[in-house]
Amino acid sequence: MAIKIKKIEKGDGLTLWEKSYLPEIIRGLGITLSHFATNMKSLVDEFALGKGRDSRTIMTLYYPEEQPVIPPAYRGRPVLVSDKNGVEKCVACGLCEAACPPACIHILGGERDNGDRFPRSYVLDGSRCIFCGLCEEACPKEAIVMSDEWRNLCQYDRTKMIYEKETLLRSEAQVQKRLDFIRSNSFSRDRY
Amino acid sequence: MNSMTGDLLETVVKIAFVIGLNLGFFAPMLGWVERKQSAVMQDRIGANRAGVFGFTFIGLLHSAADAIKLIFKEDFIPRGADRMMHTLAPVIAVVPALAAFAVIPFGGKFELAGHNVNLVIADLDVGLLFVFAIASIATYGAVIAGWASNNNWSMLGGLRSAAQMFSYEVTMGLTIIGLVMYYQSLSLVVIAEKQVDFWHWGIIYQWPAFILFLTCAIAENKRIPFDVPEAESELVAGYFTEYSGMKFIMFWTAEFIEVVTISALCVTMFFGAYHLPFISPDMLVSIFGGGDFGAIVAMLIGIGVFVAKICALIFLQMAIRWTLPRFRYDQVMALGWKIILPASLIWIFLTGLAILLGLMPTV
Amino acid sequence: MSDNKHNSDFHKLHHTELLTLNMGPSHPATHGTVKFLITLDGETIEHLDVEVGYLHRGFEKECENQNWNGVFPYTDRLDYTASALNNVGYALAVEKLIGIETPDRCAYIRTIVSELGRMSGHYTNLAAGALELGALTAFIYFVEARELLWDVIESVCGARLTHNYVKIGGVFSDLPPTFEGDIKRVFARNRELWDEFAKLLLRNRIFVDRMRDIAPISPEDAKAWGFTGPCLRAAGVPYDVRRAQPYLKYDKLDFEIPIGETGDNYDRFMMRMEELNQSMRIVEQCIEQMEPGPVNVNDPQWRQPAKDNIYTDMESMIFHFKNAINGVQVPKGEVYFPIEGANGELGFYLVSNGGGKPVKCRVRPPCFQLTSAVSFLVEGAMLADLIPTFDMINLIGGECDR
Repeated sequence: MAIKIKKIEKGDGLTLWEKSYLPEIIRGLGITLSHFATNMKSLVDEFALGKGRDSRTIMTLYYPEEQPVIPPAYRGRPVLVSDKNGVEKCVACGLCEAACPPACIHILGGERDNGDRFPRSYVLDGSRCIFCGLCEEACPKEAIVMSDEWRNLCQYDRTKMIYEKETLLRSEAQVQKRLDFIRSNSFSRDRY
Repeated sequence: MNSMTGDLLETVVKIAFVIGLNLGFFAPMLGWVERKQSAVMQDRIGANRAGVFGFTFIGLLHSAADAIKLIFKEDFIPRGADRMMHTLAPVIAVVPALAAFAVIPFGGKFELAGHNVNLVIADLDVGLLFVFAIASIATYGAVIAGWASNNNWSMLGGLRSAAQMFSYEVTMGLTIIGLVMYYQSLSLVVIAEKQVDFWHWGIIYQWPAFILFLTCAIAENKRIPFDVPEAESELVAGYFTEYSGMKFIMFWTAEFIEVVTISALCVTMFFGAYHLPFISPDMLVSIFGGGDFGAIVAMLIGIGVFVAKICALIFLQMAIRWTLPRFRYDQVMALGWKIILPASLIWIFLTGLAILLGLMPTV
Repeated sequence: MSDNKHNSDFHKLHHTELLTLNMGPSHPATHGTVKFLITLDGETIEHLDVEVGYLHRGFEKECENQNWNGVFPYTDRLDYTASALNNVGYALAVEKLIGIETPDRCAYIRTIVSELGRMSGHYTNLAAGALELGALTAFIYFVEARELLWDVIESVCGARLTHNYVKIGGVFSDLPPTFEGDIKRVFARNRELWDEFAKLLLRNRIFVDRMRDIAPISPEDAKAWGFTGPCLRAAGVPYDVRRAQPYLKYDKLDFEIPIGETGDNYDRFMMRMEELNQSMRIVEQCIEQMEPGPVNVNDPQWRQPAKDNIYTDMESMIFHFKNAINGVQVPKGEVYFPIEGANGELGFYLVSNGGGKPVKCRVRPPCFQLTSAVSFLVEGAMLADLIPTFDMINLIGGECDR
């Protein structure tokens, strides 16, 4: 396509009328005060007349009274998924450990009596994690996924940010939204 | 009650009222107004977390929380600062702002139990001159604060404020000469009394003077768009960079009280002071049955009207502050000396001409 | 007179001296961390030194220790106001080195996220520009616009700031089904806010006096200093990588390159304002032209395979494990690939020795060259002019210092 150039209209500057400051100040006041009026009306509508959230023109979320809506694509704390028996799906293959850019995952693999591999210990250092989602991508078993948990990711004490296997374990139902999302939108065959 | 005691009592009550109104009501309320009005103008809700037992009163308690926090904060004086001047500066800033209120009438004259009550602390013949004289002193607060802090940013802010405030003082005095010519008086009490008739309100003939005066007054108060002495993106916080705790809150209070003073001056000179349009205080007294009761009701209505008008002008000033960008230092000076000064001189000339030709009958 | 001023006798005679000031590294105007060493004569800047490097965190060294795919999270943190653009730039560079082409839909999605990233960068910059002139309400209006945009970006990329969305040979996920509706709603509101922002500032004399004819630069000087992006276009040079060397789908899209006249701050501001509109147009065109289809290269050697294939397809399984552990084995060679970043030409120069990690990952950050010209632009101007000039130069610490 041909290159189209748009010259920004600069003109000779302001007209004498505009140079007197006043008209533009009044116009500016008009804009800000119209925002003031609409927002005041919406506040009255919402809190005095009880019209509910839909009438709100104010951007702010009334946290913590209201909670943000987290989209399924959101990458929160990485968690381990358990199977139906409540046992982690992880087979300690170490792919997430290798893929993790800040090297925050430490796995010690072991073998069960029936020969299944399992992580003897699975430590995720939340103070190093950058929530990139590469572990989720690398995992062949859907055993680690990015959950929508965003609370308590920050702590005053760093030792509280080192998550063990037990604290990371979630049932499939708890992360169903994310599993559905990556199965349909990210890693399904029809995306390739 | 002899008249001496009565006068003393009256004066004390009036001083207590004015100081209470300013420090107890306007200063904390302006902190709230500034936060909440800007928030609503900007599609936000503003600070609303300070609460007592879960009641937040739409953020009103934040002013109290701020005051408590800042009172108990460490009072920091930087090394190499002039300790005495550093401590004195906020006082110099806050006292003139309050003192200017002494000559502003906040209600009419009434006869109460045989005693003449004049609702102004000091009925000076040269009230306006007094205001300007007092306002000049406030300049020293900023300049001394900037100089005494031993900080280059503060010094730049102090220098800027010195230049800006001195130039705008000259101009501010000239902007209302036209008004003085129109009312033939320098006394704010007389000017207020002459606005009983709605058609004699200053704004009607003297609206250019109002615009010029408001501009100068905002510049004098160092608020956006004239906040070059404290421009936070350039000079960190200008002359009060090195202030903390209670001294910081005093600068803050001084700024807010100046907002109120400017509004009060504008109301007194241009918006009919404590008068309702078309209803004189005498009429009010007679409507409420005359006598002491009528006088008290009329007095209260007068004060209420005065405060309400002040609030409206504060709203306007706040809206301007949150709408406009900031000037550059030299542009502020150019605006003062090259635009507002000639404009006010021209306006003085036009007013004189109009009065001479009888187009603007003096009152 | 001006010669006399530099003469030490002048200052002795007048009992004055020049004031040396440290502006930064922590100063409200130095968003990011940067230091100016200013010599002031009153309010006039006699001399200015820019000291960068406070945000240096060894990006290039860090990349040498990461897999090719593991570099993406670090590119997010270059120009953090427009991190999707860094993702795209790096991915395109690696793909050029490998020699693969991504599917159509993937290219469109990448175009969309690039433009959303550019918009987010411009919103941040313009809002900060208004803030630094004291216009707080205008600032909040554009932050509101950016916030709405970030909600959309979050629903696509999974994060508001550090997207890590683009991968070698594809993107992480397809667009969510709500995307089109969201974009329509958000763009409508953003256009309103754009109008209000423009009305608040562009014809206001205070703003115009602060920006117009401040720190102008001629096209020759701009080229000589290595300017690219909005700052170069403001000087009147219609150079845009999207048109000069079209990548992704830009050759199929209809958009205009805004250019200015004098290269002053006002022009730079207007460039970004206009590019916001053009970016919105591009995104809308992309949504129109896009067709459903795959979003990843179907080649497990480069892009990790579908999860279902890992256990059912031998090749997929081998490459998945090998690539996750050793990294994608990018062929030996070196490559430079420029894209149009929010600030200008953002180039990635990559060297591979055939292994799983980049031997060298050099970034050409657009704002480094721009920052070097700050002293050239503001010497002789006033202290207050430095602030908007520096903002319009738009130094992003993460990108400049890496």
